[in-house]
Amino acid sequence: MLLAGIVATFAGFLISILSLTLSSSVGGRMVIVLIGMIVSLFGIIGLINKAYLKDAIWKK
Amino acid sequence: MSHLEKLGATMNRRFLTVVTTTFVLATALLGQAPAPPAAAPAATPAAAPAAPPVPITDADLKSIPAPKAEDRAKGDPDGGLTGTVSDVTVSDAKKGLSIGDLANQVGQNKIAINFVWTLVCGFLVMFMQAGFAVVETGLCRAKNANHTMMMNFMVYGVGMLAFWLIGFPLQMGGVGAVANLGGTPPINAEYTIQLFGKAWGLWGQNGYFLFHNGTYDVGVMVVFLFQMVFMDTALTIVTGSAAERWKYVAFIVSSFVLGAFTYPIFANWAWGNGWLANLGANYGLGKGYADFAGSGVVHSVGGLTALALAIIVGPRIGKFTRSGKPNAMPGHDIVIVLTGCFILAFGWFGFNPGSTLGASGNGALRIGSIAVNTMLAGMAGSFGAMLYMWLRYGKPDASMSGNGLLAGLVAITAPSGFVNPVSSVIIGLIAGVLVCLSVEFVERVMKVDDPVGAISVHGANGIWGVISVGLFADGKSNYGGSWNGVTGSVTGLFYGDASQLVAQLIGVSTLIGFVFTFSFVVNLVIDWVVGQRVGAKAELEGLDLPEMGALGYPEFELKPAMVRSGS
Repeated sequence: MLLAGIVATFAGFLISILSLTLSSSVGGRMVIVLIGMIVSLFGIIGLINKAYLKDAIWKK
Repeated sequence: MSHLEKLGATMNRRFLTVVTTTFVLATALLGQAPAPPAAAPAATPAAAPAAPPVPITDADLKSIPAPKAEDRAKGDPDGGLTGTVSDVTVSDAKKGLSIGDLANQVGQNKIAINFVWTLVCGFLVMFMQAGFAVVETGLCRAKNANHTMMMNFMVYGVGMLAFWLIGFPLQMGGVGAVANLGGTPPINAEYTIQLFGKAWGLWGQNGYFLFHNGTYDVGVMVVFLFQMVFMDTALTIVTGSAAERWKYVAFIVSSFVLGAFTYPIFANWAWGNGWLANLGANYGLGKGYADFAGSGVVHSVGGLTALALAIIVGPRIGKFTRSGKPNAMPGHDIVIVLTGCFILAFGWFGFNPGSTLGASGNGALRIGSIAVNTMLAGMAGSFGAMLYMWLRYGKPDASMSGNGLLAGLVAITAPSGFVNPVSSVIIGLIAGVLVCLSVEFVERVMKVDDPVGAISVHGANGIWGVISVGLFADGKSNYGGSWNGVTGSVTGLFYGDASQLVAQLIGVSTLIGFVFTFSFVVNLVIDWVVGQRVGAKAELEGLDLPEMGALGYPEFELKPAMVRSGS
């Protein structure tokens, strides 16, 4: 889960970069960048952090 | 009439004589008779006729009187004799003062003004380290005072060493000309790759040890000092989120990597002629990623690294109940917390206005509006946070009001050079509320323990600041006619340029997707190698003795703080 989180977070960045070549319109690029940001945020909050919460110190 | 007045009158007469003679000679030489002044209509004032050019020769300069030595020897209480033609440096004493000497003096004066401005602003930013130190220490418990203070103290040296050795050349080694500081020609080697048909700058290559490839240069030194204190600001943000449980040796290693690689790489992309800055020139996205003083470069990099570290280190013992409900762990000294906030607000006048890198030329006179934007946003941020806390919890929380001030300052850092005062207040007000919402989200939803609110103040509001450029930039700024090599002024969505917002969002995505990932992986490796977290015994005892060998307050008897549940 941790590794998946790292990959997803970085993949979000790559998606945003790809907006520069996948679309030439401002609107199209904005949508792709926003998708990239959501993927990155999911990687951080939904995967990396959750992986750490599984063994959180306050659960012991 | 006093002797000085006589001297002044003589100087004036001679000056008028010189100008008049020159004017007559010039018009005669050019074959143009001086035009009689046009009779102005009675009701409407006419534009004054343009004065013909008056060539000045070296000979004219020789007739400008200098104060006599005997007059200067009597002292100059009103300053009328100090700073005259006799203070202009003459290149050839035999020939005397020349037009070339005057031109050189004017050029040096401009650069001198900009050097002094940038250096003094850098000194102010350096003093922000003291503000961060007392804010963070005050927000921690007394048993960790020495440890927290020592981290904030040593991060200055650790960061500076890393930046001098590695970070500075990576960040600024390819920036090219910094016109306000005399051109800085030695830092001109950017490493680029070809991607999507364009050159992407990735890092700089000149400036190692401030000696490599001609970088032993007066202008480069000013750039180094100013950028170094910015970098150190990012580093000191991180110490707050991991406070009260961070192993000191891990802090040293982590801070070194941040100062040597993480920060400089992103800063190069945004400020050092890297690919983010060139999104405008290469892809038509506004004026490229625009981050005037570093909401993204400094604060988001620090805040997101703080998030990565806080996740890895984990929450303090007692921060959450077994059901995951957060407990309040109040700091030990709200007095120094708010004092530190004032120190930071003071230092921010170096942070934002100083980012013009000059007070003369290339639109640098906007320093006034930048300073006002900065103070207004800070004010609005503190109001936003105070009102939010008051309405939601019934009391105007002091520490959150302080964080609101800082949040407003963080948010206005990127747009301060591009927006008007009304926008500054809106940006600051939103930041003040956002910091409260973000603290609640980080603590209650993510269950991440951030003792000082660094993730919310710097991470969340740094991102908000970057986005706000793409919304509120009013297109009125003019820093030499272009920004990031694109002609025109930075203009946001509300003023007609949606593409600037896209450039800003790509910057945000880079911060979240690249900077966070890089910081997380680096700190994960450090965790595996040296361990990030102290043992439970040391944490419960307080880190002052186990980690530092001395208590912060040795004469005080420390008692466990009463824990309030569910703040």
